[in-house]
Amino acid sequence: MSSVVEGVTDQLAASASAGIPPDMLDGGLARDLADASLSVARRFQAGATMWCIAPQWEPHAHHMAVEFVHPVIMGKRALPAFALTDQDVVAQARSSVRPGDIVIAVAAADDRGVREVMRRIPAWGATSVWIGSGARPPSGAADHVLWIDDTNPLAPATGRFVIMYHLLWELTHVCFEHPGLLTPPPADECTDEVCITCSDEGRLAEVILAPTTAYGDALVRTATGEENIDVTLVAPVTPGDLVLVHAGSAITRLDPEQSR
Amino acid sequence: MTSADTERTGFLYPFIDADEHDPESLLADLAKSAQAKVHESSALQRSTLDECAELVASAGAQMAERFASGGRMYAFGNGGSSTDAATFAALFAQPITGRPLPAMNLAADQAVVTALGNDVGFELVFSRQIIAHASSRDIAVAMSTSGSSADLMMALGEASRRGLMTIGFAGYEGGQMATSSEVGYCFVVRSQSIHRIQESQALLGYQLWATVQQHLMPAESAPHRRGDTT
Repeated sequence: MSSVVEGVTDQLAASASAGIPPDMLDGGLARDLADASLSVARRFQAGATMWCIAPQWEPHAHHMAVEFVHPVIMGKRALPAFALTDQDVVAQARSSVRPGDIVIAVAAADDRGVREVMRRIPAWGATSVWIGSGARPPSGAADHVLWIDDTNPLAPATGRFVIMYHLLWELTHVCFEHPGLLTPPPADECTDEVCITCSDEGRLAEVILAPTTAYGDALVRTATGEENIDVTLVAPVTPGDLVLVHAGSAITRLDPEQSR
Repeated sequence: MTSADTERTGFLYPFIDADEHDPESLLADLAKSAQAKVHESSALQRSTLDECAELVASAGAQMAERFASGGRMYAFGNGGSSTDAATFAALFAQPITGRPLPAMNLAADQAVVTALGNDVGFELVFSRQIIAHASSRDIAVAMSTSGSSADLMMALGEASRRGLMTIGFAGYEGGQMATSSEVGYCFVVRSQSIHRIQESQALLGYQLWATVQQHLMPAESAPHRRGDTT
C-alpha cells in the first residue's frame, strides 16, 4: 500500500471520531474560555477593535470577524472586528493594532507569522487569544491560550475550532449582561508610588525608527504609546526589532523567534 | 439565581449587576454553560451523521465520479456559512492528505461579488458565476442555516438546469432546500441554533470529503504507479 493510501485510510478510520468530543472542554479549557470571554468583553467595553488572523485556514479569520460584526442573534451589539489576511500578517497587524485592542488567532503553534504577532502583543498593548490544536505553544505565548487536545491535522475542518469561537462570542455577550464586572477589578490598577507593574522594569518595545545618528535615540512603541529611547547598549537596531526598555534605555534585544 | 435567570431579568434590576464586582460566580457559570453547549453540539454532530449516513455515502460516490471525469466543485454561502463553504472548498483543493481536487469558493473574489451585487442584484451573485464557470459535469454546494437564502436557491436552480450535481446544507427543518426539486442532495442539521447547525455542517462536510477521497483511491492492485521505482 502506498503511503498516500495509508494516510487517507488512517484519516478515514479517524473520521468517525473526528467530531467534537463531549468532554472537549474538560481539564481546564472551559475555565480558560470563560476567562478569555470576560477579558474580551472588558476590552470591547473599553473601546477595543478585534483583529482576527488564521493564516493556514483563512476562512476562520473571516468567520470570527463576521460573528462579532453581524451577530446571529438579533439585538446583540455589533462589535468592531476585522480579519487580517494579508500575506505579511505581522506588517498588517503592526499597522492595525492599537493599545487596548484584541488579537485573536486560529493557528498551529509553529505558525511563524502568528508567533511573530504574538511576541509583539505586549509592545502593542493588546490582549491576545490563541486557538489551536496539536502541540501547544510555549507557556505565556498569548494572554489566553485555548488549546484543543487533538492531533488530527484536519481538526480545523471538523467544527472543533468553529465551536471555540462561537462559544467565545456567546460567552462574551453573556458578560455584557454584567456591567459591574466589565471594568477590571481594583487589583489590576496601580496606585502605589513604586510598584513593579508601573516601574520602568523590562517593558517590551518594538522599534519604529532606528537612530539617525550614532548616539541618537530610537523611536519605539510600547504598551503605553510611543517614546524615544537610548539604544547604544543594543545598537544597531532596525525597525521591527523587539527590545526591553529600562529607565529610558534598551537593555536587551530579543532575537527573532525567542519566546515571550 | 442561575445565569439564565439573570439574563432574562437582569434589566429589571440593573443596580444588582452594577454592584457586582466579584467575577468568580460568573466565570463558573460561563464555564458550565460552555461545557453544556459542547455536549449539545457533540450529540447533534453524532445524530446528524447517523441520520445522513446513507445520503453522505451516495452523494460522496457521485461527487467522486464527477471529479474523476474532470468535474470541479463550487461552494458558496452567506456570512459565517460562506466561510464554512470556503473551509469545505479548501479541504478538497488543498488537503493535508489525499488527492487535491478542483474546488472553488464563489465568495472569494471581492471584485466579482461586488460587481454582480451592484450591477444585477445580490440574489444573483452566485447564479451568475455558475453561468460563467460551470459545465454539466460540475458540482454546486450551497451552505446555509435557513436552507432558504434567495441567492443560494437561485444558484442551485441555475446549476440544476445546467446539469450540475446540486448539494444543499441546511438547518432547522431544511427550509426550501429540503423540498426543492432543484436540490439533488439536502443535508439537514435538525437544530434551531445557527451556531450548533454550523458546527454539525462542518463535520458533515468533512465526512463528505473523506468519502470522496475513499472512492478516488487507486485500486490496491496498482498502488505503485509513479515515483516508486526503488
